[in-house]
Amino acid sequence: MQNVAIRAEGLTKRYGGVAALDHLDLEVAPGEVIGYLGPNGAGKTTTIRLLLGLISPSGGRAEIFGVDCQRRPAQTHRRLAFVGGEANLWPSLTGAETLHLLGRVHGSVDAAYRDELVARFDLDPAKKVRAYSRGNRQKVILIAALMTRADLLVLDEPTSGLDPLMEEAFRLSIREARDRGQTVFLSSHILSEVEALCDRVGILRAGKLTEIGTLAQLRHLSALTVQATFDGAVPDLSGVPGVSSVAADGRVIRCHVRGPVGPLLRVLADSGVTELLSREPSLEELFLAQYGNGLGQGSQQDQGGQQDQGGQQDQGGQHDAG
Amino acid sequence: MTQAEVAVPAPAPTRVRSAGSPSTVVALVTARKAVRSGAIWGYIFGVLVTSSAITYPRIYKTQAARDALAATYGANKATSALFGPAPQLQTVAGFTAFKISMTLILLGAVWGLLTSTRLLRGEEDNGRFELLLTGQTTRARAAAQALMGLGAGVVTLWALTSVFAVGVGLDSSVKITAGRALFFALAMAATPVMFLAVGALTSQLAPTRRQAAAYAAAFLGVNYAVRMIADAGVGLHGLIWASPLGWVEELRPLVAPRPLALLPIAAFTAAVAAVAVRLAAARDVGVGIAPDRARARPRLRLLSGTVGLAIRLVRPTVIAWWVAIAITGLIFGLIAKSAGATLSGSSGQVLAKLGAVGAGPDAVLGVCFLVLAVLLGFVAAGQVTAARSEEAEGRLDHLVVGPVSRYRWLGGRLAVAAVALLAGGVLAGVFAWLGAASQHSGVGFGTLVDAGVNLVPPAVTIGGIGVLAFGTWPRRTSVVAYVVLGWSLLVVIVGGFGGSGTAINWLLDTSVFHQTASAPAVSPHWVANGVMVAVGVACAAIGGTAFNRRDLQSE
Repeated sequence: MQNVAIRAEGLTKRYGGVAALDHLDLEVAPGEVIGYLGPNGAGKTTTIRLLLGLISPSGGRAEIFGVDCQRRPAQTHRRLAFVGGEANLWPSLTGAETLHLLGRVHGSVDAAYRDELVARFDLDPAKKVRAYSRGNRQKVILIAALMTRADLLVLDEPTSGLDPLMEEAFRLSIREARDRGQTVFLSSHILSEVEALCDRVGILRAGKLTEIGTLAQLRHLSALTVQATFDGAVPDLSGVPGVSSVAADGRVIRCHVRGPVGPLLRVLADSGVTELLSREPSLEELFLAQYGNGLGQGSQQDQGGQQDQGGQQDQGGQHDAG
Repeated sequence: MTQAEVAVPAPAPTRVRSAGSPSTVVALVTARKAVRSGAIWGYIFGVLVTSSAITYPRIYKTQAARDALAATYGANKATSALFGPAPQLQTVAGFTAFKISMTLILLGAVWGLLTSTRLLRGEEDNGRFELLLTGQTTRARAAAQALMGLGAGVVTLWALTSVFAVGVGLDSSVKITAGRALFFALAMAATPVMFLAVGALTSQLAPTRRQAAAYAAAFLGVNYAVRMIADAGVGLHGLIWASPLGWVEELRPLVAPRPLALLPIAAFTAAVAAVAVRLAAARDVGVGIAPDRARARPRLRLLSGTVGLAIRLVRPTVIAWWVAIAITGLIFGLIAKSAGATLSGSSGQVLAKLGAVGAGPDAVLGVCFLVLAVLLGFVAAGQVTAARSEEAEGRLDHLVVGPVSRYRWLGGRLAVAAVALLAGGVLAGVFAWLGAASQHSGVGFGTLVDAGVNLVPPAVTIGGIGVLAFGTWPRRTSVVAYVVLGWSLLVVIVGGFGGSGTAINWLLDTSVFHQTASAPAVSPHWVANGVMVAVGVACAAIGGTAFNRRDLQSE
């Protein structure tokens, strides 16, 4: 087996003047589960469509298990299975017919595992695709990909439309895939899903990969959240080195601290602190921090920031979908 | 008092720019799309009327030429069955009415049923209609409003046709009164109106848009066949009143207007529309009245690869076309002998302008087979459109990452399309022979099968050009394929009834149908056919290569 499952070198896709993906360098090892995060239009789907050879890069190249994605797409496809976020299937076929067709097209199917998945995802395969809900159509393409036991699973927002029970079934299936040594490339909006499943996380912003690493590494680079309660007046923390995003609420103060915590602790100790909590940022906070919001500053502001980002990327986003 | 308790003035209500009152929004949304489409087709109708009216006096300059024309078509049962009766061919008005009425009637019917099923059932299938239904409306009111929106589309079509008809009537060589021109435009808008209503009704009955359009198209096909028999001069003219297309014919615009025939048209439209609204209120959103089998036992035989999948997907449509082609061929065969008997020496020469040579059933079939060639052209354009929609709607993604190479997928689809075309051609020949043989017409089986196969090359060219568009200009695949078909038909009709000259010949050469010999009136030109197939295959090869290199594009 090659020692790299996915390799991208300077991978770039431009639509007109807009870079939907800008010089992506990425290596994914076999057996790794990698999370790929970014807001709408950041270039996630563009990356996946480039890896699948559905679109051609404006620059750079990509390989899957050492085979060029552009020159030999069919050869790379033999070792991967793909799940898209929009389950566009043939409305006149039933679920069973669709699974049969996609299995025959792919060439390898673990029939026993397929039946197990049909039961696990509680799918009625006798129904026509036309009659399925969105979530049920999503189940069909998930099962179709998982049943191949392909060496690489490329998943583009695979759980859109699934209920929490099915989300759990999905996580179980991905853990099984990892245990079997399959590589998983998981692009997702659901941060808890990525946090639960992925060994490494890449964060994409405006077509550029801005962060990549294990969650521990990313946390290390990021700020610590501190909450302190005082018995008297709250101190002014604005001048303390490393401290940011200070928010006071009565006798409680919340802030973020980056780098050494000594200066902050000294101020707190002198101010009659009665309770002190500190914790590492969640992936959600890391993600939001990437997009220019201070950690944990009211959800309204967070949403505003995300929308802005989405707005800037609208053009790229449209092409993304195309 | 703390700051929080200070009374804050209530924010002023936000004014939202209204897209119409909440109760008319469905009508407006539907009207916007229907008017756009009605404007395009009104323009096409207008151009057809104008070109037909102004070419007549330039081609048939002398009274003798006009009399010869009238002698030929005035009593010709074949052309009467195909295009309707042809009174007063000695006049511009009579000629125009004869030459383009049936084309406009059929185009109008197809426009009506496609527009209606697209804007009603189609909008429902893709979920957009639900958004509107959650507004301040009911299902019945929304359906009635949508019908009003469609009405705005047909009014646009009528208005544009009127402008052109009245305008060309003012020409000193044409001289059609404004009143007659307006009545003609009204008559040409009558089929669109009726088929908008029919499409609205089938949109309630069928479980999907495609099936709704198929039901309405089947109704149109039966109608045309009934009308054809009524006009075939076999003593059944009373049947004309059994067909809505016949009512339009009985309006006799430009020749001897009969406004009374508007009554059944209006009554039919109102009744069908009322039933459609009642059904819309009675049924659940998203499902038709006709049962849709949501569950089915798996039929896996064909689903072992992309070719099998292509067969499975196109089978219902292709079989419907085959049935239509077979029935049309059969009817042509049945009428060929009696129609051919009315041809005599001088009138045969005029018919020769449509491509027929000689006299008798062969000559009649030679002209009639143009209709079959057009039907096969529709099959070809439809197949290319279907291939593009697999890509546009994202289903192709599942196959190409399957792993199926793009060449293999497209090759499979084209092979299936080629079989559909070839079998369609053979069916046309075989069924025309069955009809002809039952009347002892004396046209050989081999001759008619050859004539049927002779219909395939132009369809291959249309399909090939469609594939070229698919590879290089994917979002316009369907438009390009249907424009090649529509243009070829238009040119051959104008040229066929028209005269000769360098300009006309040059135009005629751009029509794939003109390149086809009018078999069985004359022997097929196999060299010309080979060239057409080669052009089609070459275009498809270039298109396929471009498709293999370009980005996949969904809508």
